[in-house]
Amino acid sequence: MEIWQYDFMQRAFAAGMVTAIVCPLIGMFVVVRRQSLIGEGLGHIAFAGVTGGYLAGVYPAVAAAGLTVAGAIVIEIIRRRHSQYADMGLAVVFYAGLAIAIIFSTLVRIPGAGMLSFLFGSIMTVSQTDLLLIVATGLVILAVVYCFFDKLMLIAFDEDVALLAGINTVAVNMLFSIVTALVVVTGMTVIGILLVSASMIIPVAAAHVLKLGFRATMIAAVLISVFATFSGLVLSFYLDIAPGGTIVMTSVSMYTLMLIGQAVQSFLSKTRRRQLVLPAQK
Amino acid sequence: MCNIDVTGLSFAYRGRPVLTDINLKVDKGSFVVILGPNGSGKSTLIKLVAGLLEPQQGTVHLDGLSPQTYRKQGLMGYVPQNYGNNTAAFPATVEEVVRLGVIAQQPRVSRTAARHIVDHMLSFVGIAELRHRRISDLSGGQQQRVMVARALAGNPRLLLLDEPTSGIDMEASARIYELLASLNHNLGITVLMVSHDIGKATQYASQVACINNGLCYFGDSKHFRSHYKESPHSWYYGA
Repeated sequence: MEIWQYDFMQRAFAAGMVTAIVCPLIGMFVVVRRQSLIGEGLGHIAFAGVTGGYLAGVYPAVAAAGLTVAGAIVIEIIRRRHSQYADMGLAVVFYAGLAIAIIFSTLVRIPGAGMLSFLFGSIMTVSQTDLLLIVATGLVILAVVYCFFDKLMLIAFDEDVALLAGINTVAVNMLFSIVTALVVVTGMTVIGILLVSASMIIPVAAAHVLKLGFRATMIAAVLISVFATFSGLVLSFYLDIAPGGTIVMTSVSMYTLMLIGQAVQSFLSKTRRRQLVLPAQK
Repeated sequence: MCNIDVTGLSFAYRGRPVLTDINLKVDKGSFVVILGPNGSGKSTLIKLVAGLLEPQQGTVHLDGLSPQTYRKQGLMGYVPQNYGNNTAAFPATVEEVVRLGVIAQQPRVSRTAARHIVDHMLSFVGIAELRHRRISDLSGGQQQRVMVARALAGNPRLLLLDEPTSGIDMEASARIYELLASLNHNLGITVLMVSHDIGKATQYASQVACINNGLCYFGDSKHFRSHYKESPHSWYYGA
């Protein structure tokens, strides 16, 4: 196939698959911890990191990783200290990130295509260095999820119960925040800063419709994400449009179809039940 | 089994006193229910005993140890207030939730051993047939049984429960109390629970502690029941 003949597409698919796997893995915990908008906030900080990278002459993805991790640590500290107004802290960091990005972008001349590729994602701009960074970060994220799965699940279930079980919830929560920041940076290149958060949340939302257990929901979310990313990249190549939009819209379509399927199934089972009751009443 | 020794305990939230000079000695193997009006400090007392809050004055000892040291030994089971937080809507099966109780206390347990403990706990609390159901699809009473099974999966000597029967119907509530009484009687687990249901709680518990900022009453539940019948609101002011 023509699509596989290009080196840039091979790199885009490799980077896309890593992103497709790690986004819902962390997204599952983000959703059950009721922090669905954290990716959005971290994306804005990543944007500030990218513009700051251009300004300081640092590789943009590396600068974004550094600033996003720092932002995630600040968000976690605010969340812990002001648990009742945790979203307020997120909003402050969210807007601060955006403001810094705007200031930096006016101080340095960034090529228009470069800026747009970070905002909307691009299959053309995944360099060999980007791919290496994405694979390395992806492996770190997978290792953290594998080693801390039970602890993360217990904390998401009930933080007090986890604390009583002797888990250092402060340390694990901080680690989780850092890993979430890394996921945002990993997904930034292919999906784009504006939609990377959607890749963490929408496959998980679609998998939730299936009403499975925790692990099974997570696996289903990864499969949905991989399918959406693969289809989205193919569509992006042939239609010549930004991959972030096609990947996310494929996920949204799958979520919508699942909701329709669920509604139809519920309607049919109600009708069947009514048919069983009526003869009995006669 | 575990004995609880609370001495001169005081606690305030942002300068507002919630508990003042509480002294409580609970013997091993007791079933104690904490009663009191809303905002009287019942949940705060449970959290102080659990070590989730630090006393501002006074001490809490469990078998002579601080709650923080005691819980490190994996001897404490805790059932938090169920409604209004994440637990009831958590997207996990009953089996997965109970397994959390096992791995919380024994992180290196093998899969086979964990499954064996989960099977045993689910049978013990009478919900073995629900193991593959999502916890969010269960009734309030069934959810609370899952929470108790999770707390028991760590093989605790002390079980702390914060309003385990709130928001569930009378029949399901009675079954939870029967289960707790059986755990206390058959396994000798010390049970300390917060409740609003004076009738049921005093029927099953061996002792009653009435809290309204201070300790108004602490003693035998039968004595409390007879006194309460004569003067329904006396527990607010001290029986």
